[in-house]
Amino acid sequence: MAGSLTRDEPAEGTVVPRPVPAVIRTVWYAAGVLARRILLLAGLLAAVFAAVELLPGDAADATSERGESAADLARRRHLLGLDRPVAERFWDWMTGLPTGDLGTSARGEPVADLLAHPFPNTLLLGGLALLLTLVASVALGCWAAAKPGSPLDRAVSASATGILALPEFVVAVALVLVFALWADWLPAVTLTDADGSPASWRMLVLPVLALAVPQIGWNTRIVRAALADEATAAHIETAVLDGLPRRRILTHHLLPGALPTIAAGIATSTGMLLGGAVVVETIFNYPGIGSVLAGAVADRDSPVIAGVVAVTGAVITGVLLLADLVRAWASGGRT
Amino acid sequence: MTATTADAKTAPASRRTRRRTALRVLPAVLLTALALAGPWLAPHAIDAPVTAPYAEPGGDAPLGGDQLGRDVLSRLLAGGRELVVTSLLVAVLVTAVAAVLGAVSALRPAIGRIVERTADVLMLLPAVLGILLVTLSWPDGGRLAVVTASVVLGVPYAVRLVAGAAAPVAASGYVEAAAVGGERLGYLVVREVLPNLRATLLALFGLRFVAAVYLVATAGFLQVGPQPPAADWALMIRENSAGIVLNPWAVLAPSIAIGLLAMSVNLAAAALVPATGRKAVPAL
Repeated sequence: MAGSLTRDEPAEGTVVPRPVPAVIRTVWYAAGVLARRILLLAGLLAAVFAAVELLPGDAADATSERGESAADLARRRHLLGLDRPVAERFWDWMTGLPTGDLGTSARGEPVADLLAHPFPNTLLLGGLALLLTLVASVALGCWAAAKPGSPLDRAVSASATGILALPEFVVAVALVLVFALWADWLPAVTLTDADGSPASWRMLVLPVLALAVPQIGWNTRIVRAALADEATAAHIETAVLDGLPRRRILTHHLLPGALPTIAAGIATSTGMLLGGAVVVETIFNYPGIGSVLAGAVADRDSPVIAGVVAVTGAVITGVLLLADLVRAWASGGRT
Repeated sequence: MTATTADAKTAPASRRTRRRTALRVLPAVLLTALALAGPWLAPHAIDAPVTAPYAEPGGDAPLGGDQLGRDVLSRLLAGGRELVVTSLLVAVLVTAVAAVLGAVSALRPAIGRIVERTADVLMLLPAVLGILLVTLSWPDGGRLAVVTASVVLGVPYAVRLVAGAAAPVAASGYVEAAAVGGERLGYLVVREVLPNLRATLLALFGLRFVAAVYLVATAGFLQVGPQPPAADWALMIRENSAGIVLNPWAVLAPSIAIGLLAMSVNLAAAALVPATGRKAVPAL
């Protein structure tokens, strides 16, 4: 027996080398997805450069003071590097993101320095809101899907549709009025520590809620629809006929099948959350990129917003990459 | 070349669903009409103080005064028109551009692929940041900058939706016959494909109106839309939030107005989505 085994081993290894190609195929797939996502990010950077370049007005114009001479303007344009050839500036901009160089604001500060402290705060706010969105929308979607067509299902779907189109600042105003001014449970304004981060977790509650509420509406509908789609599949019918418990069907049969759609929906929400964060931070005086951008709006400072778009684009790229991999894993190589 | 599906038997049922759809569209139509007519109904001038700053409701000003003592009710009535007009304009433009591009994409797959890639790239750009990028890079753009940004950001997703709906139509026998018969692309798009997508385009218009209200209102709130002393719901919320304790109505009234507009328009849009396409929830 032992002899035959040893004799077979090399043959097995050379003729059907199954485990190795599977790994290679996975790596190859992941590399392909990564390359595609990086190309799309490069496309975004190019589009941002083109928008700033082609639209009338530049950073030197925007910050010009009344009565400033043409020579002053030209000198500032030179200081900001706006008089260099387009191709050179384009190359600097495209290669800047990986090296952490996001250009120079109209006031002459590096944009990366301006964002260094606020951006992690915004990521914290957006990350918490994304987590809450994921948990709440999957829970609500499953709850509604448990009894299709019931009053509960209709109530959940109707409220989800009602709140998904609300601008974040409207939700924020309602939350501030109810929880901060009338009930006095939570603070309406974010106070910061010496290091510039929110002083206590209670200050995060209302901003996170204001951001997450519309996205919960949005994703609850997606989860509900994905579960309804999946429920028509033949293997679900078999599971029901086999008399498996409802809960087991939901967790072991329905949810895995609906996972790719849910992942795509949550990934789409990332952009909405990061955009909405700018608005919500303004209301709660939260120390994130919202306050930086409020200053940029007052100064019409286009390099700052371009830098913010570049960093946000990179973060969204990361989340989409994760969603790609979840989808590939959930479909088990079927696609 | 329009397929009629309703036969005698389903006519009463379809009439009932049509009535139900009309009922769900009605609130949006009424609110839009009120916002458009509002400036004529305002009892006071929108830019002259009639009370003390942040005065409580009472007497001449049923909703009190704002930061400068201007009548909140008058500014509320006047402050919806620009939002509604701009949003309608954006929705019409996006739907029109997407209808043509979507039909072309269905007929010419190479163009469809370009549109797909553009939509993939724009997915990395949150709409709020996109509108800030355009308005800050174009300081003198004003309302045109807001409209341009909203249209550019909305078109790729809308094209995707139209192209999806147009694909079966483009593959149908009569369109292929017309194409083989030597009809030009423009003729195929306008005369053969688009007439069969009326329901999709109507639903798309509703969804784009929802998205436009969100974007235009948010632009107003971020102070890149209407500039003071203009009366604008979103700007009112931003300007008066400092006095929310003194006169909550100066903030609450415009918030309720935007909230009701967004919800009623969304209700209408959801009612217009064809039953078969309801699962395809397009991104804002």
